[in-house]
Amino acid sequence: MMLAPSETRMVDPAKTFLGKMLLEEITPVVMVLRTPLVEEACLKNGFNFVEMLHPFCLFKNIDVPVRTASDQPYRLHKFKLRLFYASDVRQPNVEAAEEQLKQVVVHAAERDVSDLHSDPPELESVLNQTKPEALPSWFKIFNKELIRTLAFSEHEAFDHPVACLLVVSSKDEQPINKFVDLFNTNQLPSLLNDGAMDPKILKYYLLVHDNQDGTSEMASNILTEMRGTFGSNDCRLLCINSGKDGSEEKQDNPWSAYKNDVPLSEDLGCLLNVNDLNEIKDLMQDLSSKHIIPHMEQKIRMLNQQVSATRKGFRNQIRNLWWRKGKEDTPDAASGAMYTFSSVESQIRVLGDYAFMLRDYELALSNYRLLSTDYKLDKAWKRYAGIQEMMGLAYFMLDQSRKDAEYCMETAFSTYLKIGSSGQRNATRCGLWWAEMLKARDQHKEAASVYFRISNEEPSLHAAVMLEQASYCYLFSNPPMLRKYGFHLVLAGNRYYLSDQRKHAIRTYRSSLSVYKGNSWNYIKDHVHYHVGRWYAILGMSDVAVKHMLEVLACSHESISTQELFLRDFLQIVQKMGKEFEVFRLQLPITNMPSLKIIFEDHRTYASSTAVSVRESLWQSLEENMVPSLPTSRTNWLESQPKYSSKKYKDSSICVAGEAIKVGIEFRNPLQIPISVSGASLICELSARSEAAASEIGGQYRDSLVSVSRQQNDTEFRKLVSSWEQNSSNSLFTLSEVNFSLGGGETIMVQLSVTPKVEGVLKIVGMRWKLSGTVVSYQNFDSDDAKRKNVKGRRKGKQSSSKNLEFVVIKSLPKLGGCIHHLPKRVYAGDLRRLVLELTNDSESSVKTLKMKISHPRFLIPGSLEDMNVEFPSCLERQANCRNSHVQANTVKGSNSCFSFPEVCTQHVLDVDIQGGKTLLWPLWLHAAVPGSICLYITIYYEMENVLSEMKYRTLRMHYDLEVLPSLEMSVQISPCPSKLQEFLVRMDVVNKTSSENLQLHQLSSVGWEISSLEPDGTICPSELLMDGQALSFFFKLKNCRKPLTEGSITSARLLQGSDVSLDPQGSNEVLFDISSSVLEDFYHYERLHLGKSIQGHQTTVDFILISQSQVNSVNHEPGWQSDSTQLFSHYACLCSIASTSPVWFLMDGPRIVSHDFSISFCEIRLRMTIHNSSNAAVSVRIDTSDATSSTVRLSDVAAASQYSVSSGNQTGWRDVSLVNDIKITSDVSSSLISKASSPDGITPFVWCASSSTRVELESMSTTEIPLQICVFSPGTYNLSNYRVHWDLRFPEDKALGDGSQQSSGISPGHPFYLNVLQSP
Amino acid sequence: MGSTACFIIVSRNDIPIYEAEVGSAIKKEEATHQHQFILHAALDIVQDLAWTTSAMFLKAVDRFNDLVVSVYVTAGHTRLMLLHDSRNEDGIRSFFQEVHELYIKILLNPLYLPGSRITSSHFDTKVRALARKYL
Repeated sequence: MMLAPSETRMVDPAKTFLGKMLLEEITPVVMVLRTPLVEEACLKNGFNFVEMLHPFCLFKNIDVPVRTASDQPYRLHKFKLRLFYASDVRQPNVEAAEEQLKQVVVHAAERDVSDLHSDPPELESVLNQTKPEALPSWFKIFNKELIRTLAFSEHEAFDHPVACLLVVSSKDEQPINKFVDLFNTNQLPSLLNDGAMDPKILKYYLLVHDNQDGTSEMASNILTEMRGTFGSNDCRLLCINSGKDGSEEKQDNPWSAYKNDVPLSEDLGCLLNVNDLNEIKDLMQDLSSKHIIPHMEQKIRMLNQQVSATRKGFRNQIRNLWWRKGKEDTPDAASGAMYTFSSVESQIRVLGDYAFMLRDYELALSNYRLLSTDYKLDKAWKRYAGIQEMMGLAYFMLDQSRKDAEYCMETAFSTYLKIGSSGQRNATRCGLWWAEMLKARDQHKEAASVYFRISNEEPSLHAAVMLEQASYCYLFSNPPMLRKYGFHLVLAGNRYYLSDQRKHAIRTYRSSLSVYKGNSWNYIKDHVHYHVGRWYAILGMSDVAVKHMLEVLACSHESISTQELFLRDFLQIVQKMGKEFEVFRLQLPITNMPSLKIIFEDHRTYASSTAVSVRESLWQSLEENMVPSLPTSRTNWLESQPKYSSKKYKDSSICVAGEAIKVGIEFRNPLQIPISVSGASLICELSARSEAAASEIGGQYRDSLVSVSRQQNDTEFRKLVSSWEQNSSNSLFTLSEVNFSLGGGETIMVQLSVTPKVEGVLKIVGMRWKLSGTVVSYQNFDSDDAKRKNVKGRRKGKQSSSKNLEFVVIKSLPKLGGCIHHLPKRVYAGDLRRLVLELTNDSESSVKTLKMKISHPRFLIPGSLEDMNVEFPSCLERQANCRNSHVQANTVKGSNSCFSFPEVCTQHVLDVDIQGGKTLLWPLWLHAAVPGSICLYITIYYEMENVLSEMKYRTLRMHYDLEVLPSLEMSVQISPCPSKLQEFLVRMDVVNKTSSENLQLHQLSSVGWEISSLEPDGTICPSELLMDGQALSFFFKLKNCRKPLTEGSITSARLLQGSDVSLDPQGSNEVLFDISSSVLEDFYHYERLHLGKSIQGHQTTVDFILISQSQVNSVNHEPGWQSDSTQLFSHYACLCSIASTSPVWFLMDGPRIVSHDFSISFCEIRLRMTIHNSSNAAVSVRIDTSDATSSTVRLSDVAAASQYSVSSGNQTGWRDVSLVNDIKITSDVSSSLISKASSPDGITPFVWCASSSTRVELESMSTTEIPLQICVFSPGTYNLSNYRVHWDLRFPEDKALGDGSQQSSGISPGHPFYLNVLQSP
Repeated sequence: MGSTACFIIVSRNDIPIYEAEVGSAIKKEEATHQHQFILHAALDIVQDLAWTTSAMFLKAVDRFNDLVVSVYVTAGHTRLMLLHDSRNEDGIRSFFQEVHELYIKILLNPLYLPGSRITSSHFDTKVRALARKYL
């Protein structure tokens, strides 16, 4: 199906390349025997005798009538004779032939060397080439030469001479004898002598006369004599050299076409005039048409008859078969010596070959066919293969049965291969013909595979040529098989290299690059580029070599040894160049352009690199109220410097002369081997202020140029190099140089910096580094802008990308540096310590109006200057004299508060002291409030003293990370004291959650309440040293000591009232800390602020401060920090709710045991109820009593009795009560009693006397007593809890329900009150 | 298992997205690029053959000396190519079919961009296990 179109396309096989080749190569051979004098005469013209005749052996239109064996007439048109000296009619010398072939290849390489420098061809141009142009012509020459190495083999008859041309000069003595001698000498070819061919051969006698030696009369005489001796037809006279030296100008020298490999000399054939040429022409015409062709025709007839008689016909075939079978016993005679010229087989072969040469292909084919079975049966494989080969060619020339032709070639090829080394070259020839045959039929793919098969059998040089031809076959196939093309080119290149043909190797590899360019088959690319590079280096073309080696450097997929090899070879080549090699965008190490990060300081300055990485919005919110509104800084100096107000610089960032701009960029080593990079630095352009205007024009010009990027790369590169060179002589700015080495696969962030020295416009163009001290790489930043993310948010977000590497440099300004000394990385929660903030001003001019803001005032607050000198922690201890009011004046409380340094201090430290080392030390207090990771942001604002400077103010930003570990955990439970109004019981649970810290509890303070130990002697607990993981519980008594609101609430606004309890086992022999000292109090305030409550106004909550100490400082091992001193911990437990949610507290009071003689009367018992209003508003209270039921009595009776029996051993009375109700004293105890009380019953054991409802009005913070009375009718234990207290808050008009969280009214059930009534005796 | 076997998955854009040397022979340094060359060149043959048949398994399409290239073309024109020197066609067919399933699973991963390199180590282990089983 695929073959159909090509079948129609191919008209005449003789017109194909193979056809032409066969018509040229398989032609009758004429053996030439001549005397030395003949040669001498010819050499005057610059060639020998055969060369002289050569151009005239080819007849374009000889027009000879021929008859086939079956008397069919046809005419021969094209014809060719091959002339060889008898000495050449033999198998060519192997070494000489090889050398000849090599010369062909080398010669081709010399011609191609010119374009080795050029870029490899583009794929499109390769594809667009039409076939004959693309295929280098030297392939044909090579193939021909290769086939010629097989000439004159014994087993093929077409190289056997058909005729013999005997040439004698007229100068020779006794020419007739010479003719005889020439043929009789032993110098005849072995073919004739050893019987491979018939020695009876057509002879033609030629007498050559040199006209320079005299007239041709004598020659004519000799000719007559010859005619008499050898027959009149076979003799001829040839006169040459008739022309005068150099006088004959020929338009086209017929020899020039055949001797193109030697420099064309003008005297080639210079002595031959037109007559001579015509005479030669006639001679050859006569020889072929009158002698050789008729001779062959006659021989064909004769042989044909002979063959028909012996072999054709059924009888002959049978006989032949039987006879062959009999011969089978004889040993194989592969040498072919058994077939002499007289054997039938040889005769058939000659018949076939002659018929082939006379274009009677049908006859040839039929004879070949006949012969091939014979040879096959004889196992004469070489001859068999030869026959098959000829059959294939005959099929081809007949243009019938393609399959048969191919089958024959295939058989021939494989048979040649089968017989081993002697048939190898024959196989090659066969293959070449086969491939040509396939190519003629457009079966390029198959042809390529034939070439490939040939290449396996040939030495590497020949194989290389074959593989290259195969690659072209793939290219020409339809559709082009480019990958195969590339692969075979590489294979060919490899063979070329093995046979020392480096130029060819480079050429093929380079051509293959056009296929492999841009594909992602890494190993292929690496292989090709690496080898091309290496071979170029061997040829000494280092510049091209390096270009290819650069391609393989970033080969992360290769093994370590390969990577080492690549890198080593690359560096060797670079060293060979003898200079620093400069390259644009070296891929080793790889720079990660998106990681490009520029750090510069305008009015924002940073104390540390961590502060830089903090989000800009965070800083902005922190600085919100501190700094003047943003644009003022810019417009101010722009107004003063109108030169810079042009549009070009509007987007540029601002930096200050003398301050470094840092550029961070990531370098990644893609290899697994370490590489070293040195001298990495930025490339910048700084135009000083005066030049700025001029460069602006240049800049615009450049911008318009940046449109085409492909060629731009090179100019960009040149620009980088030139600006770098400019830098080295320029002192407008200083650059940092960084040296580093990268381990295998390592990525590091490198910070490069540039420090401008003068005002102007600074542009960061790119960077430069040196690999292994030899290769300098330049990289520009601009081209990758599109990919770069904006690192610093707002700072670059809105700006066009090409601009943000430009900086306007302004005059140098003072800049504060700052740090906090001894800020620990990790602290335990509650840790309280003093830190020192150090601010330095290195510049000449001074700054003013220092302000500071801290992001977490709960953790860090500024102290006062006095704090610097006092001793910590003893300064917090309670002292006799009262606190000064200094701190209160300065510190402003509030979450957005901003701390202004007192002008006095800054005046003193920074302004007055202008000499170097201006330092301000300021105390800070750190309190680790809660566990967790805390980022502390501190920003310090300052203004320039010099009003003329371009920036009004700057800010210093500091950032610290703090990790707070959990330490003590404190929980407090408060419940009302059942026996006393306004007193509460406090249970405090403390757990030490540290890993290895022992904490010594020091004191517990309450704010606004009076706290005291439960035990009368003041000891709380046997040991207050809390080991890690240990938990302790403490119990305290709490008493409300707050005065009613009406009394002096203003004065108590600042100072904390409260009381402290020492937790020391030794009691009060250690000094307690003053919780109203400035630091503790400030942190207390911030703690309250954090909880969102103001400090005043809650009577129902209590705040506790637990202070503990640690002797061993195991958290912080920083040197210089006093590790032996005690560490102070303070824990705040704020807003601990007391048990009752009701603002009305009440307590029943009365006798517990009453003896009464019930026989007389019932018993009347008087009770008192004390009611306290703890709220800020007046309250109206109503007490409702209801009569108890008997079941309640009985129940509680039983319960009480059993409880008493259990707990009778206990001495402390208050616990008994708790046992009755429940274990815990909590506010919900009473609810269980309500349900008990509500069960219905008939008999009441006691009744409430007087009114069942009493109403009283209570002012805020006031107490009143209400008398109550019950009547008891029988002895027993009574629970007098069956009453309720209704309360209703009466807010003043202006404060109506201001506090939504508090109830305005409610009902409280009665507290249990047990009364024992005994029968008195 | 043959002594040499190189398995490669080529995306429809002719980019290798997965490579594995699955042969039992000791891996030689220069073998890798040679294998790539052979497989890359074989793509030309696959290009012709793939459209002449409806079968996914194209059997042995190309050979280089004693190395044979077997190819399996998925519906999305992703080519699974195996370079081998063994003659076990059934085993290769099964190998391809199972690897195809694995590949489909990779494709189902919403985070995998079709045509990008397969970096899943799980896939790699599975493929190598299949190679041991079938080749």
